[in-house]
Amino acid sequence: MLMFLRRYGTLVGIALVFVYFWISLPDTFVTSRNLLNITQQMSMLAVVGFTMTVVMSMGDFDLSVGAMASLSGIIAGIIFVSGGSPQIAILAALCTGLIGGAINGFLVSYIGILPFVATLGSMTVISGLAFRLSGGKTIFGSIIPTSFSGFARGGMELWSTELVIPNLTLVALGALVFIYILLEHTVYGRRLYSIGGNVEAARMAGVRIKPLRLIAFALSGLGASVSGLMYASRVASANPTQGASLMLDSIAAVFLGMTMSDEGQPRVLFTLAGVLILGILGNGLTQLNVDSYVREMITGSIIIAAVAASSLSRTRTG
Amino acid sequence: MINSIKKGLAVSAMLALTSGAALAAAKIAIITPYLAQPGTQYYVEAFQEQAKTNGWSVNVIDTKGDVAAVISRIEDAANQKVDAIVINVDPSQVTAGLETAKKAGVPVFGMDSGANPLLVTNVTSNGYEMAADTAAYVVNRIGGKGGVVMFVFDAFPPVQVRGVIADTIFKNNPDIKVIDRVTPDVQDGGIADARAKMEAILAAHPQKGSIAAVWAAWDQPALGALQAIEAAGRANEGIVITGMDANPQAREAIAKGGNFEASMSQDFKGIGRTVADAVKRQLAGEKIKQSVIYVPTKLITMENVKQ
Repeated sequence: MLMFLRRYGTLVGIALVFVYFWISLPDTFVTSRNLLNITQQMSMLAVVGFTMTVVMSMGDFDLSVGAMASLSGIIAGIIFVSGGSPQIAILAALCTGLIGGAINGFLVSYIGILPFVATLGSMTVISGLAFRLSGGKTIFGSIIPTSFSGFARGGMELWSTELVIPNLTLVALGALVFIYILLEHTVYGRRLYSIGGNVEAARMAGVRIKPLRLIAFALSGLGASVSGLMYASRVASANPTQGASLMLDSIAAVFLGMTMSDEGQPRVLFTLAGVLILGILGNGLTQLNVDSYVREMITGSIIIAAVAASSLSRTRTG
Repeated sequence: MINSIKKGLAVSAMLALTSGAALAAAKIAIITPYLAQPGTQYYVEAFQEQAKTNGWSVNVIDTKGDVAAVISRIEDAANQKVDAIVINVDPSQVTAGLETAKKAGVPVFGMDSGANPLLVTNVTSNGYEMAADTAAYVVNRIGGKGGVVMFVFDAFPPVQVRGVIADTIFKNNPDIKVIDRVTPDVQDGGIADARAKMEAILAAHPQKGSIAAVWAAWDQPALGALQAIEAAGRANEGIVITGMDANPQAREAIAKGGNFEASMSQDFKGIGRTVADAVKRQLAGEKIKQSVIYVPTKLITMENVKQ
């Protein structure tokens, strides 16, 4: 019983919250439209959360993801201003993310800077670059091609035209499948977890830690730039700070997910659950007319409660 | 055990929060990323006062700078079938949310947000009118002749319209010469760079009386120009400075009776009240034709700055 609660306590908690919203908002919460809406609202955070899980599986952090998401949007925006096509803009933004992430990985694994410090530094540089390139202004209006901004408004129609899976949700699902296979079904993923478990033991076992870490950070940078492009498409504009909230929220989602996994490890499916918890709370509390500052306090308290409950039950039984 | 305490806490917290929400009457959601800015707070407070009189239930949602979250919250409010949504953000950045609201049949009102066909109407101040008032003040004060320095910012549409009007008014006076039309660097709002630019212009025009006035499209460059004129020891030349927006720092400068003589004050509370009025008319079934509703602005000088 205790085992069950320890493992599923957070899930049961959020299920109760879900049921509570369902009862209080009988007509508007559990509708396919609203639920699909939540998945669309959370898709950007989900992508960053998934790639953050890769980095956190080694016990590292990437603080630069929010700045990188903003920079990717700005890069795409600047290419639109100079008349480039969406394909070129997307490619350039993704390359920026991949290269930026690889530089983070290089600093962490080959130079040996603590991830917290290395990515804090790169966050500042990347954010400065986003401001420099944009002149601190928002890039918006008819400069943004409708094929780019339309993507976030479109979706895949299911059987009936009423039910449309949003494109942004599909992108997040794609990222989920990719990261799930990578972490759970490849040697690479197992090695990342072995680094997270015990670096020395992993080294002794012959794991070549440096390149693995570099790749993990490169993936995190890539995820951040995908998310930044999704954001830019959704708001049909690019602004040098628009990704900022993604960093702490993605780390929170991974931590929430960790309370559900057996060993307290970051697992991408549980990260998804963490992202959905944040999304459901945001949507449900808004619909219940809860003051937006109180909404933040509740969300923060729930994160603390979940992590506290999980770590307490772990120490009791462990 | 601990898990059950946790669940209990979460649920009871939410029960406590929602029991206060009114169920009757019209539900209005105000959604903005800019609630921390003073102007926005004035609109929202004035709107809420009106809402209280009308018996509406108002939910104010601040996404703290996050524009994508504004879209999400508009979608939530539309799904929840509120009676009206009020936004204070550039509508072109939240089109996705506005389309959802339109599909759900929920009317959206702009509170100083910019005009957009997806809005019922946008309530704001008339930038053309504000620029005309201060430019005309300058012309009258300097008797229609002398050198004028302009501080403008054409990259931002609401400020660009101010510059256009001032250009026209100065051009209409043959004895007025625009010495320079400066676009300051606005990273810090514009005070520091405007001061540096003004110092250079003062150095280039050393004769007393060669600069009759400084017209600025917002307050910060006017304040920077004032600092430059005072630092150069030329405060007694009678150079007339005007700004716009009447922020607290500008009001203080105007109250001192120095070179900074006038600015324009927007009626933020009036904007909030007028939005509430538009919502009320719409809820009563009236079809609002004006895509933009202007709320009068006021010239602030030493005579009325303390009011």
